Amino acid sequence: MNATAPDVRLTMPARPEGVAVVRQALAGMADALDVDATVLADMKMAVSEACTNVVVHAYEDSDGVLEVDMLADENALTIRVRDHGSGIQPRADRSRDVPALGLGLPLIAALSDSFELHGSSGQGTEVRMTFSFARDGDPVEENPVPGTVGDDGRWDPDASRETPAS
Amino acid sequence: MDANPIVLDDAAGDVVVVVVEGEHDIYTAPTLRERLDEAIRRGGGIVVDLTGATFVDSSVLGALLDARRRALEADQGFVVCVGETVEPGVQRILDITGLVPVLPVVSGRAAAIDVARTDGNGPGG
Repeated sequence: MNATAPDVRLTMPARPEGVAVVRQALAGMADALDVDATVLADMKMAVSEACTNVVVHAYEDSDGVLEVDMLADENALTIRVRDHGSGIQPRADRSRDVPALGLGLPLIAALSDSFELHGSSGQGTEVRMTFSFARDGDPVEENPVPGTVGDDGRWDPDASRETPAS
Repeated sequence: MDANPIVLDDAAGDVVVVVVEGEHDIYTAPTLRERLDEAIRRGGGIVVDLTGATFVDSSVLGALLDARRRALEADQGFVVCVGETVEPGVQRILDITGLVPVLPVVSGRAAAIDVARTDGNGPGG
């Protein structure tokens, strides 16, 4: 991989309409780096889920900032998605238009080659994920998404897929 | 112009098709939920056609799973179709979440309409 691209930092209000903008910026960077379409699709999915977590969970009812860094080296792209919000615990907030399914972090873990979650209550949260440009295999096989949807409509990581709720 | 439209197509009579095109995520999920609510209110089977969709995330899956649950509670058939050549931004999340047999997901719209019609006990079933 000889192509180069500048490191990118995006800072924007943590609002739903911003997530597509992050995907567009990522697609532009991946184009400059000549990233394989399959890897780019996984990057887009994972970064969308990380940004969605910030939009939905980070800032109660107040405004806040979504920060995304994209850092490329010869072998991989590292994406950091950061907020300065209340902490990392996803909430089931039924008052919102879009209740969380609870699938975001399992998807990020499955799609990326490595994945870290940093943060503590009151200090904000950073999701750090790395995607290799050249894959030996499918990262999903290393970290498959466990479980299926439960009777309450949320993701149940302990549920068996052989007996889907119906 | 809406680059990411979600429209109802009731040409199939007792089965309404929710046609989803473009990219869909947390921003458009509330609109998808509204359209799905409207489709359920019509009382017949529901097909969600993702053939023209290029990207869907877990917000979309959440909306689909909620609608599916309510449709089944009301004895209305619920089926998702994705077309013959599926975008990676749609196929991948369906594959790795194992939701293809759950939703369920089929290829063509005509087949989906047939299944939605016979699955429900509504006017057509």
